[in-house]
Amino acid sequence: MKNIMLLPLVAILSACTGSGGFLESNTVVIEERGAEDKTVDAIVRDESGFNWSDLTKPFNQATNTTQANAKEQAVDKLKASDTNFVLYFSYDGADISDEATQEIIKHANFMRDNSGVKLRLEGHADERGTREYNLALGENRALSVKEVLGLYEGLDGRIEVISYGEEKPIAKAHDESGWEKNRRVEFIYK
Amino acid sequence: MKLIKLFIAFVVLNLGAAQAVLEVTVVKKDANAFPIIVSHFELVGKGAQDKDISKIIQANLERSGRFNVVIPETIIAQDVDAQHWKRQNIEAVVTGNIEQQSDKIYKFSVSLFDVYSNKQLFTKTTRVHVSGFRKVAHQLSDHIYEALLGESGSFNTLLTYVTVTTDAKGDKEYRLNISDSDAMNVKSRIKLKTPILSPVWSPDRSYEHKKIAYVSFENDRSEVFVWYPYTRRKIVKLPRFDGIASAPSWHPSGKSLVLTLSKKGNKDIYSYNLADKKLTRLTHNPSIDTEASYSPDGTQLAFTSNRSGQVQIYIKNLTTGKISRATFEGRYNAKAVFSPDGKSLAMVHRIDNDYRIAMLDINTKDLSVMTNNELDESPYFSPNGDMIIFATNRNNKGLLSVVSVEGNRSYELSSQTGEVREPNWSTYLEK
Repeated sequence: MKNIMLLPLVAILSACTGSGGFLESNTVVIEERGAEDKTVDAIVRDESGFNWSDLTKPFNQATNTTQANAKEQAVDKLKASDTNFVLYFSYDGADISDEATQEIIKHANFMRDNSGVKLRLEGHADERGTREYNLALGENRALSVKEVLGLYEGLDGRIEVISYGEEKPIAKAHDESGWEKNRRVEFIYK
Repeated sequence: MKLIKLFIAFVVLNLGAAQAVLEVTVVKKDANAFPIIVSHFELVGKGAQDKDISKIIQANLERSGRFNVVIPETIIAQDVDAQHWKRQNIEAVVTGNIEQQSDKIYKFSVSLFDVYSNKQLFTKTTRVHVSGFRKVAHQLSDHIYEALLGESGSFNTLLTYVTVTTDAKGDKEYRLNISDSDAMNVKSRIKLKTPILSPVWSPDRSYEHKKIAYVSFENDRSEVFVWYPYTRRKIVKLPRFDGIASAPSWHPSGKSLVLTLSKKGNKDIYSYNLADKKLTRLTHNPSIDTEASYSPDGTQLAFTSNRSGQVQIYIKNLTTGKISRATFEGRYNAKAVFSPDGKSLAMVHRIDNDYRIAMLDINTKDLSVMTNNELDESPYFSPNGDMIIFATNRNNKGLLSVVSVEGNRSYELSSQTGEVREPNWSTYLEK
């Protein structure tokens, strides 16, 4: 059942992103969706009342809501998909891995589809090293993410970059298990 | 009697919580510390009874690690019996009296007696307004220190530091505090829910011009502010720049500061003149350049850069414009500050997985590691160059540590109620 449902979904998503001529790597996105059981399960449950045309509509065309609500719902939908809103970095590093690039492309797609949303990229560092150097490092991480997003037309002006350095850790552990979670960039939509 | 004592303790504790008074712990003293008696002062007049500032002097000398302070139970008279103290291996005796002259005016007379030469080294007599008691105590401590050791003391100076407390809901409060060098006389007027970083005293000697530059996230991004705690008590925000603004540090004139700006994302060091608001770019490099700090004569600028692919300290000669790498030992050296004599740098140095305070002799390039901790930050010299204050971490709690440059003495400043971090020690104040 899962496999049967997956095929038309892949086909339609492919047509959707492909027709926009926006991104080269949409096939990667679809493969990842297919590999993620959770997403497929959700669609299977919706089978009876599923409206195929919803998939072809950009999120911000949703009706019966204020624009702010629409933005929120769109972001919620993106969150419910398997898109990462936090990207992680190596020690003293600001390089974007191939995996991270794929996640950033999903966000680029989302921003293209939702022209009203603005993105705040918050760069963070782990506690090691000096606070001021980490503030600079956190900004470099956020800027690396922005650089990828900025490759796509019309996004650059909608992205704000800030750094909190080591000041806002999400993990408390004072060892690598905590540090690896704190070296990050968070995607915050407005 | 017991009840009265309890009541006093309660009041003091309450004050402590409200003003973030730090606890001072002397950790290590010089093995050959100077044995000295600091007698309680004779108090004359009703108003003088609770104003025995000998306690401030005792604590100052003891904290420096260079004195073994003996406090006799009874007050020692100003005519000192040298032979008696010689037998007890005491080398100097401080005596004094405080006499109330009017409502707010007191007369001090404090003497330092050298036991071996059997001579009075000095007697200082001053009239003091009640508001100046602490200042006089610190000045007297400096006089004693200098008369006995032949070096300037750092007592009549100021600290600034950030305290962080977490309430029951897990919300944090950040306070920017200023205090005397003994961590007393605390004022914390800036209280925020957002982080405060890098407070640094301007080198001005007068209270009128003395100010603190610091970084605040109160507008949801790092910005540099300048606080005038004594005169106008106002806070000036530097103009809004693109990207981060951070790592302020003063020019020796106190009229301009250097800071890190990330215009177009590139973190470089700029100088900002407070009077004409002119911005001058001092580094041009696509890597991170930050944590700049002037040499005491203003001719050199030390800063952190990862331009080599590693985080290292560089020095820019501001006369020739030449930039040269200063640190070669280890893969991470950051946040360097010049010693008051301009000959050394203190910095954060990584060894294996630990970040420790190290000192570099700029000429010989000899690097000596001063500490044995895991996560030291923000070193600054005491104004006499004798000690280095820095932030460290114990049992996952931030506290301040102060170590002598020889490594033989140290003390700590910690908070019962939260974390202490981001210390900075002022230069000398007006006399």
